[in-house]
Amino acid sequence: MTSRTVTAPSPEDVRAVLDAVPDPEMPPVSIGELGMVVDVRVDGGRVEVDLVPTFSGCPAIAVIREDVERALRPLAGVDEVEVRFVRDVVWDPERITFAGRRKLAEFGIAPPGSGQTLLGIGGVKCPLCGSRDTVADSPFGPTPCRATNYCRGCRNPFEVIKP
Amino acid sequence: MSDPRIDLLLAMADDELVIGHRHSQWTGVAPHLEEDLAFSSIAQDEVGHAVVWYGLASELTGKDPDALGLGRQPDQYRNAILVERPNRDWGYTVARHYLYDTADDVRLVALADSAWRPVADATGALRREERYHLLHARTWLDRLAHGPVDARRKLGEGLVAAFGEALGLFEPLPAEGDLVADGVLPVPHAELLQRWLDMIAADFDALGLERVLEEGATMADPEFVPTSSGEMEAPATLSGPHVERRDRGWVPVGEFTGRGGRHGQHSEDFAEVWQDMTGTYRAHPGATW
Repeated sequence: MTSRTVTAPSPEDVRAVLDAVPDPEMPPVSIGELGMVVDVRVDGGRVEVDLVPTFSGCPAIAVIREDVERALRPLAGVDEVEVRFVRDVVWDPERITFAGRRKLAEFGIAPPGSGQTLLGIGGVKCPLCGSRDTVADSPFGPTPCRATNYCRGCRNPFEVIKP
Repeated sequence: MSDPRIDLLLAMADDELVIGHRHSQWTGVAPHLEEDLAFSSIAQDEVGHAVVWYGLASELTGKDPDALGLGRQPDQYRNAILVERPNRDWGYTVARHYLYDTADDVRLVALADSAWRPVADATGALRREERYHLLHARTWLDRLAHGPVDARRKLGEGLVAAFGEALGLFEPLPAEGDLVADGVLPVPHAELLQRWLDMIAADFDALGLERVLEEGATMADPEFVPTSSGEMEAPATLSGPHVERRDRGWVPVGEFTGRGGRHGQHSEDFAEVWQDMTGTYRAHPGATW
């Protein structure tokens, strides 16, 4: 192997890349914006990334691991990437960044802070028209982290990040 | 001698995998669309939780989590018999869902204090997710208990049918004493059973369902089941305590004897769910998914 002429990226460089890796099931939002990045360590050419899944049963975990590896390997100065999913951190919607919340709303998913309740009694702000005249349809949805609601204001169904 | 922690992990992982598989059998055929969604989503969570426990077991055994989940022979599975039973009807489905998820909650709460850190850590995310299962189960228990008459009758029948086998969720593990002594299992199953009875008795009292604990309070007669070598084994199947009313609560009386799901002894219904669950894996061993 030739001697290294490029310096390894800083943890901040790595985080900037992770902020642009799309979530496989909600592509407008990145895994960084969803608050899935717990820790980044750089040791020479070796990069270690600790992630927390939004839900343990998330079927996208394997895809996310591959996407992160694929995004980080081409970085100058990176020889090795290790992605770990940690269990000592509990993901919570409060981890979603403000940029992430804005993008979720634009995508039609009510972000945290829209008035969610565990019981799903309605009144969640509709991400499509802004009405609060909404009802819960089901505490379950198309992915483990989402529930389904209905807006009586604009007569559209919409999804909600579970509280 | 094998690590007793593997028995604990497989008991929980297999419970979650098998109940998840049974729940998934409602996909496409549930009474209405919301319940199709609910059971499909809960099934996905439960299988995901199984993967968490298989992942830890994988670190102890060196075996791939998929091989642990799908590559064992029927008598190597450690799930309780309750979770392998077919869904029958909506009354039984709701009854079992409620009895199982309350028992799982009691177990997870206790394991949050496990001296084995990886297990204690994992309970945080799992309990956060299980809130929705408990909410769903209690909502349906409440709805069916309030009738109409047919709904309440079917719920009652489901609870009576499921209750005895739900006690099997608390069958002591093969090396229970070691697990408790090491603090891996901070509370023995006998105490977990009492905590669970206290929890469900409160719900049953509120809904006028105490009769269920009177009628369903004993485990069913043992069944003869073939072992993996095809021989019929003597009915060393599980028999357990019965439940009695004392003062204002319910207490288990008697001990578990024989061997149940925690020792790999299953009902005839397991063969069907095992074939269904593991068929693809067995047909294509080592395939990349």
